[in-house]
Amino acid sequence: MRTIKAVPRNAGADQPAERPTQPLVALRSISRLYDGGAIAALRNIDLEIEAGACVAVVGASGSGKSSLVNLMCGLDYPTAGTVSWEGRLLRSRRRWARLRRECIGIVFQEFNLIPTLTALENVELALFGRGLSAKQRTARAAVVLDRVGLDARMHHLTTKLSGGERQRVAIARAIVMEPKLLLADEPTGNLDSISAASVADLLFRLREKTGMALILVTHDDALAARCSRRVRIRDGVIVDDARQATTSAGVGAMFAT
Amino acid sequence: MNLVGLATRNLKRRPIRTSLSILGIGLAVGAALALIALSRSIQDSTREGMNELGDDLVVMQKGASDIFGGFIPERTTERVAALPGIARVSGEMVTFATSETNAVLTLGWPDGSYLWQKVPLREGRVPAAGERHVVVLGDTAAATLGKKLGDEMELIDQRFRVVGIASYTTVVNRGLVLVPLADLQEASYRPQQVTIIHVNVEHASGRGELGRVRNAIEALGGVTVSTANEVLDNDRNFAILEAISLAVAIIAIAISALNVLNALVMATQERTREIGIFAAIGWSGGRIMMSIVIEGIVLCVVGCALGVLLSFLAAFAFPHIPAIGNLISFRPSVRLVTPVLAAAFVLCIVGSLFPAWRAVRMIPADALRRV
Repeated sequence: MRTIKAVPRNAGADQPAERPTQPLVALRSISRLYDGGAIAALRNIDLEIEAGACVAVVGASGSGKSSLVNLMCGLDYPTAGTVSWEGRLLRSRRRWARLRRECIGIVFQEFNLIPTLTALENVELALFGRGLSAKQRTARAAVVLDRVGLDARMHHLTTKLSGGERQRVAIARAIVMEPKLLLADEPTGNLDSISAASVADLLFRLREKTGMALILVTHDDALAARCSRRVRIRDGVIVDDARQATTSAGVGAMFAT
Repeated sequence: MNLVGLATRNLKRRPIRTSLSILGIGLAVGAALALIALSRSIQDSTREGMNELGDDLVVMQKGASDIFGGFIPERTTERVAALPGIARVSGEMVTFATSETNAVLTLGWPDGSYLWQKVPLREGRVPAAGERHVVVLGDTAAATLGKKLGDEMELIDQRFRVVGIASYTTVVNRGLVLVPLADLQEASYRPQQVTIIHVNVEHASGRGELGRVRNAIEALGGVTVSTANEVLDNDRNFAILEAISLAVAIIAIAISALNVLNALVMATQERTREIGIFAAIGWSGGRIMMSIVIEGIVLCVVGCALGVLLSFLAAFAFPHIPAIGNLISFRPSVRLVTPVLAAAFVLCIVGSLFPAWRAVRMIPADALRRV
């Protein structure tokens, strides 16, 4: 399988006005192997994500999308190659944890919330270790939950929330520290169509307001079409990486809060 | 919300396991406290008993393994009495004698011993000079044996008549049976021998005077001299008891640490995904470890509190059990509780560190895949 180096083509609309010299995240010759090399989730990947980018990562199930995202945020470690953040190589768990604490927010398909805590408390968890008092954490979490439309539900246990509401809590947790990069791995995969559209609208609206980079892993072509760049993965290699003209917001805009 | 609040929530989420862990720690700590208090109280009770008899010094045979094992010639009492600075002395034979089915602590004092004059009688009298086969019972001993003034009782296969009931205050002395020395010497085939010698010193308050008299008595040869507080320091039986109690207490505390380790290892395994979430939102390895160790500390605090409560409940209940209460007073104290709790805490924290360390070594992506 030919490996296409990820040099974006068809540069068109949605070009950032000023491009920083260093990419936000850069993967160089990344491979991720399992079972002693018998399984290659990723093979010799090169990829750069610039600040403020809006990138869709698409591919079939098992193509390596989630593995790629995990390596971009330090939830997993490459078998070969390097990952750098704003030009600095990242090798230690401590530095990756710090990045996730301060610069990278992650939204998962399964929400990954703590079921014994309320929505507010789940968001507060992301503010531990930032030198804030308990009151400050609570106040900040409440503001963000209000922004995602959950001010009336913030004191409910997450087990009492709908799927769409839980994903909003997860988004709030991911953006509460005002990250430079938001990684969303199939954020609408477990939601009904209306909730999915609403959550998708929320993600893009937040990106527009904050200017953070958004990497969206999805198998939904309509969702991918709303991003300015599409990276396609197949069998652990990038087979296409192209800029594209974005489509407008979908049906979910009617339900945006 | 803080880490302690988070730990408390996690423990409440598994009420049965948390309760069992706390119970395990509580029983271990309570058992350790009870065992150590038990061994200490035997020594304390004996010392209190001797102090109640008014001893300044106690003379034992050199090399005797315990207070029952001395073979001091009765004439040594006279030699001690002749030393300068001695106010009064009395030989004593100490033994556990059988009375029907009971083993009772029996003391034999010679005619004219000052110890007879100091018996706090509640009823009756002390033996007259030359009187044989009569007995004075401590009030607890009288109750245990079911005897009252004037009754006959069997002691060392001989018949004795109760002529007096004493009202000592200390637990050991309340369980005493007091007989003429000659009766005990005859029954134990040890004529003209005593096991210890009680000594009162003329100017006992002077520290130097006690030391001088002590040296003078030891210079007679074949004896060692102790104060009432020191008398059990060289007692082999009490040393063995203390060693056993300490060993069992250490085992009990170690079991409680294993309890905590088991509970937290299981909890960590069940919470693997949650630990992955913490890592995903940027918690440092140290913070994740701290959250698990705090759970261990919360378990330990509650468990230790339960253990202290159980030990004090035992202290309240044991005196009501004649087989225990007639021999010793059982008193857990702050001096006793503090080192046991400190040891329990240290072991619980150590027991928490292993699962915490395992938790932070996981790759977050692998942890998040767990169900």
